[in-house]
Amino acid sequence: MRRIERLVNLIAALLDTSQPLTAEDIRATVAGYDQPDHEAFRRTFERDKASLRDIGIPLEVVPTDPFGERADAYIIPKARYYLPQLDLEEDELAALQLAARSLDGDDQVGAGLLKISVAAEGDAPVGPRTLWGSDLVTETPVVIAFYEALLDRRSVTFTYRSPDGSTTERSVALYGLVHRRGHWYGVGKDAARDDIRTFRLERVEETPIAGSDTYEIPEDFDAAAYVGTQAWEAETATQTDAVVRFSKSMRWWAEQNLTGNPATEGPAGSMDVQLTLGRPDALVSWVIEFGGEASIVTPESLRERLLLRIAPYTEEA
Amino acid sequence: MADQSAGRVGKRLQRILLLVPYVIAHPGATVDELARKFGVRKRDLLADLNLVFMCGLPGYGPGDLIDVTIDDDRVFVRMADYFAAPLRLTPAEALSLYVGGRAVADVAGVNQGDALDRALTKLGRALGESAPERAGVDVAVAGGAADHMAVLTKALEDHKAVEIEYFSASRGITTTRVVEPWTLYGALGRWYLVGLDHASEEERMFRVDRIHSVVETDEPAEPPSDLDLSRYRNAFRDSRHARSLTLEISPGASGWFADYYPIRSSKTLPDGWVQVELAFSGVRWAATLLLTLGADARRPSDQEVVAEARKLAAALAAGHRQPVA
Repeated sequence: MRRIERLVNLIAALLDTSQPLTAEDIRATVAGYDQPDHEAFRRTFERDKASLRDIGIPLEVVPTDPFGERADAYIIPKARYYLPQLDLEEDELAALQLAARSLDGDDQVGAGLLKISVAAEGDAPVGPRTLWGSDLVTETPVVIAFYEALLDRRSVTFTYRSPDGSTTERSVALYGLVHRRGHWYGVGKDAARDDIRTFRLERVEETPIAGSDTYEIPEDFDAAAYVGTQAWEAETATQTDAVVRFSKSMRWWAEQNLTGNPATEGPAGSMDVQLTLGRPDALVSWVIEFGGEASIVTPESLRERLLLRIAPYTEEA
Repeated sequence: MADQSAGRVGKRLQRILLLVPYVIAHPGATVDELARKFGVRKRDLLADLNLVFMCGLPGYGPGDLIDVTIDDDRVFVRMADYFAAPLRLTPAEALSLYVGGRAVADVAGVNQGDALDRALTKLGRALGESAPERAGVDVAVAGGAADHMAVLTKALEDHKAVEIEYFSASRGITTTRVVEPWTLYGALGRWYLVGLDHASEEERMFRVDRIHSVVETDEPAEPPSDLDLSRYRNAFRDSRHARSLTLEISPGASGWFADYYPIRSSKTLPDGWVQVELAFSGVRWAATLLLTLGADARRPSDQEVVAEARKLAAALAAGHRQPVA
């Protein structure tokens, strides 16, 4: 019998049974476990169990004897195996299918969509062929490993490459996983530093290892605040308030894109916008990129920092 | 090699565990329909069905085996109630669905009324504790004005060109231009309008947050039939620009520099600074880069870029030296 047939039979038996089955039960009753000796059976069964878990089948091990003298038994609990009823309306499924195109070419999203559309009537309407796409990626081993660790609340250990090129071993209790500016960031408590740190997942050198300890995430923890939408927003220990002035010809940009920030009228048709920032250096770069159409009003120290930055090009050669 | 074959068996097993509930929910689906739905060749699908036919519950008698019938090309599966619903979503699948949905859910016009919000809420409810949102996953793509995204989405659906007022940071000016929209692309956390720019007669990417105004026109627009979105994935690291700039980056900045900028080659110098050759097309873009690097960059090779950097620096200095009003 081929291996895949044996696996289907094993899943069927463990899903249909009302009593957990011991390895011996399985060997005696499930088709495909006719290995000549116990050792060969044990190896085959171990490999099959791993295959089931690999594709996400919840295989539970139930001790049959509190004194540990009898063998463990196995069952696939129905409540944990079956996809819960989603009761998606036709337009809801269509919207999800359309949205999933932003992950063009992602195998996982295709598999997930198939699962949730099993119960749907007919094929959901197909919209325009190409409407949008994105560089969002969820399929990398590091993203999945961080996500699973976050789900289980198990801390992760990994080698991290800092922006200056040096590498360090980190052990982190993850509090959140945030996607901003085209990158995934893990936010959590760094054990050695005993403080909240943000890690860019592309800088994680190898697939992280999840530990066995678990932890609690502080209530109302806002991981996104530590990353920020703009690079300068990232929350750090020292937050600074600043006012940036947008010229008459560029104020529309601030009006459209910084809608949540307090603003007042500035001189000559300009507009002053109040910002709270954690990374002053990033704000300086950001203001420079407006090429003179934006300027820092306060604080004075930040104005000086900008002047210092551009000094190599303002001094006489 | 062992891993690869396990992966293949795993993929096929996943397909079978989905195919059976699908046929149970859609009795009489045709072989062609199923092959298309599951993205496999017809003969692979028939092989899957033949395999299922050999499986069942212990006893494996006529009453225990899964009953697969193919009648006039129509498929029926019986005696497999335990496979009537698909396997729950894996964490990776749930994450992908959530991320794909969340990325566009804040964009008016893309949300299809509020259908996407409703779908994500139902998905979250079904996943319970393991829902990405509750676990602490947060995804956002910045779109600029929500109204702009709605107009652009509609123009794409209507196959009509748009007229935009656009601020080009690389040139420092705002221009009005007509663009035939091809797609909206989320890159580096921002939405871009990709399309044919009438003024230059070239394909261009426009940052939506830098679009001041946008209106749909009557001009027809048709995206190329062979548009391949994957080519935009690394558009911002593209080093095929015409010009090149050589400069030296300080040891402190050289670590992150390569992550952000299109580098053709690099070489570490005896004093620890790194000499890089950078691809660029716009002088102002390169000049802005020099200014943001400040003292972390030295010896830029292109004098036109340096002259532009001095001009920009003078404007910035004027704005920052004068007393605050």
